[in-house]
This record gives sequence, structure tokens and C-alpha cells, in this order.
Amino acid sequence: MKQWRSRVRDLLITVIIMGISFGLCMSIQYFFKTEALIPAIFILGAFLVSVLTQGYLFGIISALIGVLLVNFAFTFPIYHLDFNMPENIVSAIIMIFVSTMTCTLTTKLKRQEALKTEGERERMRANLLRAVSHDLRTPLTTIYGSSSAMLDNYHEFSDEQKIKMLNGIQEDAQWLIHMVENLLSITRLDDGNVKIIKTETMLDELIDVVLVKFAKRYPDQEVQVDIPEDFVMIPMDAILIEQVLVNILENAVQHAKGMTELSLKVFVIDKKAVFEIADNGEGIPEDRLKNLFTGCFYSDDVVPDGHKKNAGIGLSVCATIIKAHGGDITAVNLKSGGAVFRFTLNLEDSQDEQQV
Amino acid sequence: MNNRYKILVVEDEANIRNFVMTLLEANDYQAIGASSCREAQLMFLSHRPDLVILDLGLPDLDGTTFLKEIRKESNTPVIVLSARSDETDKVYALDIGANDYVTKPFGSAEFVARVRSALRSTQLSGSNANLPGGKFESDGLMIVYDSRQVLIDGVEIKLTQTEYNILALLSKHPGKVLTYSFIIKSIWGYDDYGSTKKLQVNMANIRKKFGAKPGKKNYIFNELGVGYRMCEPNEA
Repeated sequence: MKQWRSRVRDLLITVIIMGISFGLCMSIQYFFKTEALIPAIFILGAFLVSVLTQGYLFGIISALIGVLLVNFAFTFPIYHLDFNMPENIVSAIIMIFVSTMTCTLTTKLKRQEALKTEGERERMRANLLRAVSHDLRTPLTTIYGSSSAMLDNYHEFSDEQKIKMLNGIQEDAQWLIHMVENLLSITRLDDGNVKIIKTETMLDELIDVVLVKFAKRYPDQEVQVDIPEDFVMIPMDAILIEQVLVNILENAVQHAKGMTELSLKVFVIDKKAVFEIADNGEGIPEDRLKNLFTGCFYSDDVVPDGHKKNAGIGLSVCATIIKAHGGDITAVNLKSGGAVFRFTLNLEDSQDEQQV
Repeated sequence: MNNRYKILVVEDEANIRNFVMTLLEANDYQAIGASSCREAQLMFLSHRPDLVILDLGLPDLDGTTFLKEIRKESNTPVIVLSARSDETDKVYALDIGANDYVTKPFGSAEFVARVRSALRSTQLSGSNANLPGGKFESDGLMIVYDSRQVLIDGVEIKLTQTEYNILALLSKHPGKVLTYSFIIKSIWGYDDYGSTKKLQVNMANIRKKFGAKPGKKNYIFNELGVGYRMCEPNEA
């Protein structure tokens, strides 16, 4: 279906450009009474078609059309196809040669660009994998170590010690669950062309689910909520957007030192829903701001003792999800202290923006 | 004499099965385990459990096949264990007769609460709600079915016909997730494009009239992409 559409588009481009070239030639011939420019104009036309369309087909077709038109309408004998004149044949060969070369070059260029983005994605994936495997080891050490210690020396530990170890196991297992949820979200998106399935989601239901989930993990952290009074329906993959909100809120709790207030605000402007999560902590270090959503700073930021730091993954997951929804995500520091994370979602579903 | 509830746990992962069975036994239920669909079918016929915990991903047959078989002959409550990412699976399982689902990984408190509520729902169903003088009470919310009244902390809440019908439906299945399509079919009789939106708008109105704040303890829980769940009634 899609290929069909791009074929039709290419055909249209070819027809338009060749039409313009023909019209131009007719008028030049009419006003200036000269034929010298005509092959040049058709060569330019064939060149443009080759650049603007996919593959070789349309470039070569337009070169052939050019050759025929020049032969038919502009060279002696006029309004007659004649392949016996040597200059006609030479100009035909030149035009076909030019358009073939152009097509080859542009196709190569397009292919190289695709390779480059593929390579970038591959590198990000490798970075992520390295960071994740490093991070997984820490909680696994706690879980494995504590449980085997308990099994081996069950009677030697006091109840208090056992509870302490069990708490450690639970805490690190919860961290693992969270990490795996993030990784699942990435795999749900990262297959390149996977389309996310958007369903209309009621804003206040989404916020409710997010806050319930957040309160389960951080019962002591109050979140101030400000959402529109009227019904707002937003097309989204609710599970993924829920993940984005939880990640950003959680990021504030873990990284905004000195935070006392955390707020979540949503408003509608220009057919877009804008989500703002603000804290009054210490803000984001300037050198982090640039790469905050890429997960890149992760690789050189692994603390030697392997202490848990999943901000890199959490936020790059957010960026991936929001981009897949056709929205934007930004983070800025506030002058008054603290940071704001802001992302937008379109209220109207546009088909084109659903691709990753 | 053994009069504890008997619960069949169908799960192929031995560790999860052990943990679930231990948890159930610690809560004074009698747990029996099965690791495949075929084993579960035999156990179900010979033991006649009061509740089935069913993992959908089994090695021999799909768990939903077993669920359909159970539903052909009995109303034994079934709780499905499901993975996080597949809402469609959850909705499907609920629509073919599962009473509830628990998403893996789950905590013990949440799990035991679901078990308790699933067992209670079979005890309650139809016993209280449809009798004259039937009431639903939970944490300040009271629904009086005879007079179609809804009160919060003694103050009457004015609901429209449809809103009341939805609330009454949910309250007759407390603790159980009702899917969008189930609610829509029960209230409007048909399910077409735009019905879900109609339902969501009605729910938003109910929440507004209840003065519900997002993230605070509300009477109706949202299960995004699946449906709604009424809170548990107070213990009589």
C-alpha cells in the first residue's frame, strides 16, 4: 500500500517536471527562436526527476521521454520522429547517461544515510546493553547473596537480621522489575518500523493510574496535581505513557536533591496536550542537560561500585516513547531552582507520525 | 473435617507455583498444584476446587482453552496470571469468563486480596444485591438498590439513570474487573464504535460527582485499556 503511494507520487513528480520542461522549451522556442537551450533543459529535467524519485525507473523514463520529445518537437524534421540524424542519437545517449549516473549517485546516497542511522541505533543498543548488564549485577548480587546466606545459616541469624536481608531482597527485586519494565517498553518500540497502537485515553484516568502506582513505590512523596476540569481524550499507548510519567516522577525523587515539592500539570494548547513535571530540587547539571534523553552519558558515568543509577535508561525510554507518539520532550532548569520536564502529545491522531 | 477452601494452582514455573502455594497455605487455604493443562483438567475433575489460579502460558495447551472448558460446566472463579504487556490477552481472558487477573510480578498482599475477593464474589453473587433492602457499603459510600440512592458520608449524590446503572453494575461485582465491553453490553445492550468513549465520559462524570481526586483512594479503580473495578465492600 505504502509502496503504491510512493510510486504514484514519483509518477506525479515525473509528469510535472517533464511537463514544465516541455512548456519551457516551447516558450523559449516561440520567444527566442532558438533551439540551443532545449536539450540542456531536458537534461536538467531528467536530473531533477532522478534526484526527487526513488530508484532508477523514473529517471530513465524521463530521459527517454526527453529524448523522444526533443527528437519529435524540437529538431528537424519537426513533429516527426527521426533517428537517422547522428546528432539526435548522440543527444539521446548523453541524456540517458546523465540520468543513469544521477540515479546511481542519489540511490547510493540514500542508502548510505539509512546505513548511518542503522549504525547509530546499533551503537545505542550496544551502549544500553552494556549499561544494563552492568546494572543488573548489583541487585542480583544482593538477591543471590542474601538468599543463599539465609539458606546456609538460617538458624544463626536473628529475626532482625533476616528481616533486614529480606527487605534488601525485596527492594532490589523491585528495582529489577522496574528495569525490566523499561526494557520491555524499548523492545516494544525498537523494532524500527513498529507502529504503536494508539487508543483514546481519558486523561484523568491515566493520571489516576500513574499516581496510584507512584504512591505505591513512594508513599511519602506528595504530588501536586493540576489537570483540566473538562474531559480530555488523548490518543496514546496508555501503558507506555504511564511508563513515561512514572519514570519522570521517579527520576525527580531519585536525583533532585533537596526537593520538597513535586508537581504534575497538564494543559491543552493548540490541539496538543502538554505535560509538565516540575520539582524544586537542585536542578540538572548543565553538562547532563544535553544528553539527558539519549542515554549516552551513561557509558562514562558508571560509578565504580556499580551503585544503582537507572536515570539514563529511564529518560531515554521516555524520549523514545514520546518520539514514537509524534511528540516532543524537553528538560530545563528553572531560575527559581529545580527542573521541569515537559512533553507534548497530539490530541488528534495523525497517521504519519506514528512511526519510530 | 477439612472445610478450608481448596485452590488449584496451574503454573508451569515450579518456583512461582511453590511460592503461590506456600502463600495460600500460609493464609489457611488448601492448595493443590498442576504444571500443565492436562494435569489441571484431571485435578479439576477429581478435586473440584473452589478457585483456580491459572497461568495463561502453559507448555501443552493455551490456558484459555482450559478456562473455556471450566466455563462450560461451572462457575468456579478463575484468577488469571498474566504478563504486563498484553492488555488484549487480559481483556480476552476476562471476556471468556475469568473473574480477575493478576499481573506478574505481583506482591503477596495484592495477590491474597484478589483471592479473597474472588472467593467472596461467588458467595455473594445475587445473595444480597437483588434482595429487597439490598445495600452496598464501603468506606462512607452507600448504595441503596431499592430506592436507587447513592450516598457518600450520608450526603446524597445525584446521578443520572445511566450513571446509576453503571455504578450499580460495578458494585454488584465488587473487587472484580469488568471490561469496557461487558459494561457497555450490560448498560446499553449493544457495543459499537464510540461506546467506550460514552462509557468513559459517564465514568468521568461519576468521579466528578464523587469528588474523586486522581491518585487518592477512590471507590472505583481504573484499569487502563481493560475496564473498571469496584472497591471491596466493608466486612459485614
